[in-house]
Amino acid sequence: MYQVLLTRRYLFSKVMPLLASLGVMLCSAVVLVTWSVMGGFLVMLINTGRTMAGDVVVRWPGTGIPHYEDLIKRLEAEPSVEAAAPVIEAFGMISPPDGSTEGVVIRGVDERFAGVTRYAEIIWWRRPEAPLPKDTERRDPRLGEISGTSWDELYGQGLKLQRRDPRTGDLRPAVVPGIHVMGTSRRTREGFYWPRVTERRGSDGTREEINQFMPRDGSVTITVLPLDSKGQPLEPFSSVLPVANEFQSGVYDYDSRVVLVNLAEAQRMLRMQQAKRLARPGEAGVVEQPSGEGFAGQDSPPALVDDPARVTDVVVKGRGPMATSAEARALAARVEAVYTKFAQDHAGNVPDVMDVSIMTWEDQNRTFISAVKNEISLLLVLFCFISITVVFLVIAIFWSMVREKTMDIGVLRAVGARASGVAGLWLCYGLAIGLVGSSLGLGLAYTIVGNINPIHDWMGERLGIVVWDPAVYYFSKIPNRVDAWHAAIVFAGGVVSCVVGALVPALRAAFMSPVRALRNE
Amino acid sequence: MTILQASNVHKTYRLDRVEVPVLRGVDLQVREGEFVAILGASGSGKSTLLHLLGGLDLPDREPAGRVTFQGVDIRARGLDTYRAADVGFVFQFYHLLPELNVLQNVLISAMSMHGVFGYLSNRAAATARAEALLRAVGLSHRLKHRPAELSGGERQRVAIARALVNKPRLILADEPTGNLDRVTGGKILDVLLDLRAKEGQTMVVVTHDEATATKADRVLRLADGRFGAS
Repeated sequence: MYQVLLTRRYLFSKVMPLLASLGVMLCSAVVLVTWSVMGGFLVMLINTGRTMAGDVVVRWPGTGIPHYEDLIKRLEAEPSVEAAAPVIEAFGMISPPDGSTEGVVIRGVDERFAGVTRYAEIIWWRRPEAPLPKDTERRDPRLGEISGTSWDELYGQGLKLQRRDPRTGDLRPAVVPGIHVMGTSRRTREGFYWPRVTERRGSDGTREEINQFMPRDGSVTITVLPLDSKGQPLEPFSSVLPVANEFQSGVYDYDSRVVLVNLAEAQRMLRMQQAKRLARPGEAGVVEQPSGEGFAGQDSPPALVDDPARVTDVVVKGRGPMATSAEARALAARVEAVYTKFAQDHAGNVPDVMDVSIMTWEDQNRTFISAVKNEISLLLVLFCFISITVVFLVIAIFWSMVREKTMDIGVLRAVGARASGVAGLWLCYGLAIGLVGSSLGLGLAYTIVGNINPIHDWMGERLGIVVWDPAVYYFSKIPNRVDAWHAAIVFAGGVVSCVVGALVPALRAAFMSPVRALRNE
Repeated sequence: MTILQASNVHKTYRLDRVEVPVLRGVDLQVREGEFVAILGASGSGKSTLLHLLGGLDLPDREPAGRVTFQGVDIRARGLDTYRAADVGFVFQFYHLLPELNVLQNVLISAMSMHGVFGYLSNRAAATARAEALLRAVGLSHRLKHRPAELSGGERQRVAIARALVNKPRLILADEPTGNLDRVTGGKILDVLLDLRAKEGQTMVVVTHDEATATKADRVLRLADGRFGAS
């Protein structure tokens, strides 16, 4: 009983416990603010990594999966599948108008891609719903009008990967590169982009400014290396394609290396479109009568069979958020079951289920996610060090407080307090400081994290300190949510650290000789 | 009837590598209800003996000596229990807890003795007893005051109330008037003796003040760690 009474009195009558509480408060707040911001940042990164991937992908690179439309139909008949879309993935090269050539990843997609990924959200050149948080002066060019076209038209072009030819009015298959692929846009500190303007000097000395806004009238040359049906490389194939839009996923690797190409065009370039081929020996085919001179040196024309169009990937979106690994794995299992039946029904014409890869989004981003998890582990190690610092802080403060309160300890022992009771007093005191300090720390952390963007803006304006530069970080807003579980862990960590820190001084007090304590030796 | 007995009690302190014998085979018997005064010069071992009698310290193991209370070795009874239930201490420098008020300083003894649940169930009785004692020592108007707001004499009255709140059978006082002027010291001693007379406790007082000793039933003189002629 006296423990509670004295703890209450000690807590508010001395500077030392207030300093200890202050120390615990600052440590708890620092840990929670760091964890909230960094944790939020990492979650945003992981979510961004999912932007271009479905929940599950069926992959057979190289020659590709034929009859994929049948597979998609079967998959979409599954209750756990919301949608599926065909994708071709291949390596290629892009040559922007400046004459340079870059190696890129070509992804052939059609309109269905937006139904299985968050592609529709990352098309950059469209009118934003609101100015970016840091764009207080509304300088984002997308907030104004655009000459020669409209933002809605550009957005539609991006979704369909087509662009209207200004001369003929026909829709042409087009590309949508990542916004850093061509280097034609400059990122600002506010987080938006300006198309670069280059200057051309004429032979007569005149200067002409050229706006490199590619989605309006720019084209690029895409070169790919197609494979035949046996996987052998053929001659490189180049095609000049208009730019329909650009995307910004937030992951630099994607934004600087991926070019989305109209699926039909990608199939044509990679020779994966529907075609006729010679029937293999024993394969039933259709003999087409020659219309002209016939086949020289042959008794009869060869039999032809339909070679169906192929894609390398079928991307699947599950029903529901698919937030956990278990949900994605369950979906992958269903996809595998569907593919097994599909392979049986098309035996000999499609890859066997053992040959194709069926991967969840986590499997696809394993390297990236591992790096993120390593960062979280590193963060937790740092938290451990901070907790140890708190323990030593409390030990140091309590040690000197026990020294200061030696006489009180002697008096308590003289009136019959047990050694365990005296130890309990200091542990109770440590608990109280932990509770007060951690509570204040949580309050401070919630206040800071909740207002971190205004605080950061204020620091930038008044002090010129910009820690979170949108030109470097892709997220123009600092994560400002405190996870309740993180808060609970930090709170418990702060309290436990204080109790552990109080343990050594408590034992010292408990084992102190009453006589020596009364003499204050 | 003997209530407190010390037999062949030795106590040696070790200062670095030097052994300093303080008590050299003290024997003492105190009868129930008796007031014994132990006189001695500074450094004669008076306070050390009082600490041993009160269970704040233990005699040397060799040669084996012991302190018994009501015929039972105080170690067997449990030193904490003995100090909480059977003994009330009054110190020269009062030793009040500065963060607590007068009433709380008195009640701290009751809290120590009863434990959390015991105290909560006896709270009203303990508080009434503490208030009655503080009234008896003339401090009923100072219950909420802190020790820093009291005079030396008032602080010692609080210490006396604290020593008596658990109704101990034995009061051990270490120079109870040593830090007070003669008039105040005299009044404090009268208060202590009055209360003792009402409640019938045994009391052992160590002092170097002859005037205090004259009020005792028996006077023992401690010199060089042993009792001389009384």
